[in-house]
Amino acid sequence: MIVVTGASRGLGRALCERLMGQGSAVFGIARQVDGLPFPALGCDVADYDAVRVVAQALRRQAQPVTALVNAAGIASMNLALTTPAAVTRRLIEVNLLGTIHCCQLFGPLLVRQRRGAIINFSTIAVALGLKGESVYAASKAGVEGFSRAFAREVSDFGVTVNCIAPGPIATDLLKGVSPAQIDAIVARQVLPRQFGADAVCDLVELLLDPRSHSLSGQVLHVGGV
Amino acid sequence: MDDPEKAVFDAIRALLDDSAQAVDAHTPLIGDGRVLDSMKLVELCLALEDIATALGFEFDWTSESAMSRSRSMFRTAGALAKAFRGQQAVTP
Repeated sequence: MIVVTGASRGLGRALCERLMGQGSAVFGIARQVDGLPFPALGCDVADYDAVRVVAQALRRQAQPVTALVNAAGIASMNLALTTPAAVTRRLIEVNLLGTIHCCQLFGPLLVRQRRGAIINFSTIAVALGLKGESVYAASKAGVEGFSRAFAREVSDFGVTVNCIAPGPIATDLLKGVSPAQIDAIVARQVLPRQFGADAVCDLVELLLDPRSHSLSGQVLHVGGV
Repeated sequence: MDDPEKAVFDAIRALLDDSAQAVDAHTPLIGDGRVLDSMKLVELCLALEDIATALGFEFDWTSESAMSRSRSMFRTAGALAKAFRGQQAVTP
């Protein structure tokens, strides 16, 4: 079974649809799970105790967890100088602490299997240091650093940890970014065209494939930087 | 599995390279003289999680004091057994 956070919409939802289409059992986690066409539990990943309750529930299920995809994330495109403290805190809580919480609490489910893949999400904003995304980039740079170190901590248990860093993908996270800004970001990619959710789903499938067992602690940039 | 302390000591003993090595309340699990490496410590936590489930409670090894040298539940086998028993006792 593959656990996907942020499963109700955006990239997380697209990933769930893709994985189910490939015949994988998916378990979704999101703040709102009503009406989702797959098993899911409601949970805010920023809330450690709430994540722990979900992890305990999953452990009691007979189906082993073989992968964790931490797609839950939020964005707020502002200059750091004009970003309210509450927004800064929420970005860090959801993007960075949420990823850490899920790795800490769902990771043991993979460790038990002595195999598995964890996929975390960063952003092109880290590599490019994009203006207007400093706090968001900081939260995701933290995810990259955590992922590289955590990959070493669980490597003895046959668990891999990697990051995917998309460029501007058409999801709700891009609200507030103008077409001109998107074009400017895309122009700085090695492959200067805007990729869609399908490209991210392709990379997730690649990292979940057992033939990717030699990859861990890496950041894969969609479009290249 | 009526004796939580024995269950903890047995779980530690099962992870030792030398199964003849004695485990008592003073056996260190972290720091100088520790008998388990970090990988085995994780395995011990998972084993205790399973034992706790069988006993009807959830074992939480991530408490605030877990990694404190002076207060950590992992400082000795005895401290771990005490924490394990304590979590069992507060289970409704």
